[in-house]
Amino acid sequence: MKLRQYLRSDAARGYLLVSPTALYALLLLAVPLAAIFAFSFWTQDYLTIDKTWTLKNYREALSEPLYRELMFRSVRISAAVTLATVLLAFPIAYFVSFHVPKERKSLWIFLITIPFWTSYLIRVFLWKVILGYNGVLNTTLQGVGIIDEPLTFILYNANAVVITLAHAFAPFAILPIFVALEKIDRSLLEASLDLGESKVTTFFRVTLPLAMPGVIAAVLIVFIPTIGDYVTPRLVGGPNGLMIANMIQTQFLKLNNAPMGATLAVLAMLIVTAISLVFVGLNRKFLRGQK
Amino acid sequence: MTQPIIELRDVQKHYGEYHALRGITADIGQGEFFSLLGPSGCGKTTLLRTIAGFEGVTSGAVLIDGKDMAGVPANLRPTNMVFQSYAIFPHLTVAENVGYGLRRRTDLNRQAKEVLVGEALEMVGLDGFGKRAAHALSGGQRQRVALARALILKPKVLLLDEPLSALDKKMRDQMQVELIKLQRHVGITFILVTHDQEEALVMSDRIAVMFDGEIAQMDDPEVLYRRPNSRRVADFIGVMNFLPASVLSESGDRIEIEVNGLGRVEIGTDQAPLAGANGGTSVGFRPETLTILYEGQTSNDHIAQGVVEEVVYYGDMTYYDVRLDGAETPVRISMRNLFGRPVLEIGTRARIAWNPGALVLFR
Repeated sequence: MKLRQYLRSDAARGYLLVSPTALYALLLLAVPLAAIFAFSFWTQDYLTIDKTWTLKNYREALSEPLYRELMFRSVRISAAVTLATVLLAFPIAYFVSFHVPKERKSLWIFLITIPFWTSYLIRVFLWKVILGYNGVLNTTLQGVGIIDEPLTFILYNANAVVITLAHAFAPFAILPIFVALEKIDRSLLEASLDLGESKVTTFFRVTLPLAMPGVIAAVLIVFIPTIGDYVTPRLVGGPNGLMIANMIQTQFLKLNNAPMGATLAVLAMLIVTAISLVFVGLNRKFLRGQK
Repeated sequence: MTQPIIELRDVQKHYGEYHALRGITADIGQGEFFSLLGPSGCGKTTLLRTIAGFEGVTSGAVLIDGKDMAGVPANLRPTNMVFQSYAIFPHLTVAENVGYGLRRRTDLNRQAKEVLVGEALEMVGLDGFGKRAAHALSGGQRQRVALARALILKPKVLLLDEPLSALDKKMRDQMQVELIKLQRHVGITFILVTHDQEEALVMSDRIAVMFDGEIAQMDDPEVLYRRPNSRRVADFIGVMNFLPASVLSESGDRIEIEVNGLGRVEIGTDQAPLAGANGGTSVGFRPETLTILYEGQTSNDHIAQGVVEEVVYYGDMTYYDVRLDGAETPVRISMRNLFGRPVLEIGTRARIAWNPGALVLFR
């Protein structure tokens, strides 16, 4: 009786309505995550998995210099990618928002997304062609006589990873910054000029603070996926450009040590979470006063 | 007149093909409350923005305090503006907004600036609001912050771009009076842009009525209301009745005219402005210059006869649309609803007293 009543209530209907999606989200997000967590507390015992709960993996992951080095390098490369992407994206977003006529803005945004029409993998390979020892860049520079020897610091190292990722994530950074700039009431800029500030000081006192939510969104959007990127370091990173995701892959597949891989994945997640929380906090500060 | 604070000399502004300002010439005096009044698209805001320095002029000159402002950007002009949207910086507090323009004042230390901000807030009735976030303010409060932020810099001219249009009626009436008081208190020139003729009449010392990028008439409110120089100005400001008329004879400073519904009458040449009539000769008069006579009432003025065709009751006033005998269209007459005086019904025949001195001839 009570069950029937409950099934007729609004709450029950709501749950029923969302249940397919909720189930889907549970299966695809929560379950794998829980599995990774569980694995990280287990250990690999040759061919079988020892399911006794232990922190042994975490101790090893935190004390082993190789893992630590890879973790730091991942953060470092990600930070460099984020910095480069956001610094390059801002002027583009600014230009489109402030200097492109209104009716052509959507065309510009559309053009910016064009690189996405090709697969990520192909774009990475193209960078290999551009940056390689006999690549486009080196042959051109040699051809015009700027360099005698091909540059070697641009491929198969961290630099190549930064360049490739910065290119891949550029639209992700441009769009949120563009949106934030679009939301700025232009009369605020005029008001600042009217109150005696120059165009440059107006940028720093009005435009930039009001664009910060977009900048922070861009930082998060670029930073979070790049720290766990696997394809780019694998293809253009060389031995010194490898990142934590490559190690996780190695643990799972080559070394057949899923628990260790899971532990590294959890640790990477924790680091991303910690850094992201800092930016979310910053965002809250900048969002103060904006609707 | 003393040295005008703003001199506009044949100011022209083109936007490509569009001719936004067609030769504006005007002097605005020190301490004057001056309004630019006109329908949207008449160029009044463009003119204000050329004075502020946000727009350049195609030809002509804008002089502020005797200095040609050509090439002087907005941040270096002795003017400050209150924007239509108020343009309050949402990421700053009220005090930071008000003190925004003080940053370049290196002669003041922090305490001196705080004192100035406090005084400015007090002047606009917002003392104690300094620490509030700007986005939490109401429309009227934003307006006050915008005023304080502009006036704290002691500009020679304060420019107001439709400052009251975003407020509700009651708040608007209140702010009109406050703005007049504030202007008297600080004693600087205010230039107000508005499309609201009532607002302009209430607040201004002088009004420039603009149509299509030109000043149609520039006068004090009373002259503008009583002696509009064209039918278009007359139509834009307040309610004006028009009746077709014809000129019978002119001699010296007297003109004899025949008006449908009012008959033959003599008026002075000062009642016949030179500007175009826009569709034949006609006579204009305000609704309050006619009086409906009740039974037994007499008047020394001219008397006309008519029938009440429509009654619009406003509480303190009643508007009657009366068709005068011999006229084709009704005229509007406004009567105060004095105590004990009944509101007339539709169809009533009435005697109407009128005075030739209130007529304006457009030809």
